[in-house]
Amino acid sequence: MGAIYKKELKSYFTSMIGCVFLAILLIIISIYFFVVNLLNMVADFSTALNAITFVVVLLIPIITMRIIAEENRQKTDQLLLTAPVSVTKIVIGKYLALITLYGIAMLVLCVYPLIMTMYGEAQLAQSYSSIFGFFLMGGAYISIGLFISSLTESQVIAAVISFVVMIFTYLMSSLAQLLPSDHFSVCIIMCMIALILAVIVHMMLRSAYLTAGVAVLGVAASIIVYLVKPSLYDGLIVNIMSWFSVVARFSSFSLGIMDISSLVYYLSVMFVFVFFTILKIKKKRWS
Amino acid sequence: MIEVKNLVKDYYGNVAVNGLSFTVEAGEIVGFLGPNGAGKSTTMNIITGYISATEGHAIVNGYDVFDEPEKAKKSIGYLPEQPPLYLEMMVKEYLMFVAELKKVKKSERASMIADIMELTKIADVSGRLIKHLSKGYRQRVGLAAAIVGYPEILILDEPTVGLDPNQIIEIRELIKSLSKKHTILLSSHIMQEVDAVCDKIIIINRGELVAYDTPANIAKVMEESRELIVTVKGGEPQVRTAIDAIGGIKEIKYLTVGDKVIIKIKMQENVDVREAVSFALMDIRCPVLDMRLHEVSLEEIFLNLTGANKEAE
Repeated sequence: MGAIYKKELKSYFTSMIGCVFLAILLIIISIYFFVVNLLNMVADFSTALNAITFVVVLLIPIITMRIIAEENRQKTDQLLLTAPVSVTKIVIGKYLALITLYGIAMLVLCVYPLIMTMYGEAQLAQSYSSIFGFFLMGGAYISIGLFISSLTESQVIAAVISFVVMIFTYLMSSLAQLLPSDHFSVCIIMCMIALILAVIVHMMLRSAYLTAGVAVLGVAASIIVYLVKPSLYDGLIVNIMSWFSVVARFSSFSLGIMDISSLVYYLSVMFVFVFFTILKIKKKRWS
Repeated sequence: MIEVKNLVKDYYGNVAVNGLSFTVEAGEIVGFLGPNGAGKSTTMNIITGYISATEGHAIVNGYDVFDEPEKAKKSIGYLPEQPPLYLEMMVKEYLMFVAELKKVKKSERASMIADIMELTKIADVSGRLIKHLSKGYRQRVGLAAAIVGYPEILILDEPTVGLDPNQIIEIRELIKSLSKKHTILLSSHIMQEVDAVCDKIIIINRGELVAYDTPANIAKVMEESRELIVTVKGGEPQVRTAIDAIGGIKEIKYLTVGDKVIIKIKMQENVDVREAVSFALMDIRCPVLDMRLHEVSLEEIFLNLTGANKEAE
């Protein structure tokens, strides 16, 4: 695990990607910090961070795209998977390297609230809580990027898919408002979600029975709920969509609230996607 | 020791390995031979734990690769078909990474890598980026990576591909010298190579074992196809009567070309009829223009074994 962690971290700085990532991230955050906090004299760093969550969405794919896709393409995964190291350790080593790279930027950000104290009283607790939240949000996005990188051999495809998925999660809560909310439409959307799930199951496991099972059960459940207790569908779509809205959870941190549910949410996203990545790599050996 | 039992690999209906079983004893060099797509690389990938088998077991040094992968992998050094190199790393940096990955003690790493670079003759490029190296050097860096940690078993997938004749000889020498301490399974589709280095040969075709024996024994198996070809000046009936009188012949064919007769004789085991044929032809005053014993090379055996398989289908 240590070997892979060191190798990955080192490769970010020998290949410049790491430097470029840190530079762009910090430059953009610094500009916002300068404009929002210093010029407009807002004593709360979270305002600046809140305004630039999209930067994370734009930049994370740059560092996650190659992390596994490149190993697949160069066949260097053969070295890693035939070495006496478990897949879990390989993936965790890689994930920790990514988190460390992102964490370096967060450490630099920790200096910014202190700069504000030079000009007056800054809201330090709120600022640091939002930096912590920003770190967790990045960690969650990195785990998604890691998983997507394991699905392909091409860095470009990994980057594009990660980008689309991240934009989607970013816009999720606003998209949810646009969808119809009457019971019948919700029922149809639920059926569609069940079918999409079935397709995903098919792509992952290639088992006809399981695919059919998921599709039939999902559709049947949606229709039964519609017929028996349609009130369950009240606001369901908005709720479901907001589960996927990774950015939305950041807002509680930026208010200075150490919200346990958001913390658990981010940690679960990280865990789930790192776990998926491990499964994906293990599964590749079985196909 | 490598034990492969009834290995099957099925890629969605495309069977790459079909019920393969063999054992490689400690200290042996075994050549793994087969035409392209015979399932050599697939079998090696299964033994090293890179991919799983649909059925069957691969046991390395007493550890099942599927049940105790980390222990089994610890005793294997693997050079895949395409050496798994990080192109943006320097040679020494890469080998240090491999050593750490293979859990070589920190105090031993530097000296072990220096020794291995000396052994594989890559010490002169230790500070260069791998992406700037030629194919031959890359192959040797891959081989060096397989040797790192001195695993008991080396599995080499076409180790001499892409090398020039001098390098091929060097690598063969290296493999021979390694065999003193390691058990080696190497694959190739070049017969001479396997013939030159290996104690035993496994021939597979379409995922099935065709033959597993020493090179000499495999040659012996095919000895009956050894042919004596004689070209005689004279008439066929005359020659026929003379030759038919000789014993020890298993099969015979005559072919008349102009005023010459070409005789193809398959001899019985442990019988040499050359003298008798020569005297018989002298007695009827038919001059022998050419007589040669056609020994079957391993190449032909290989073609024969794998080709015969195809016909059977």
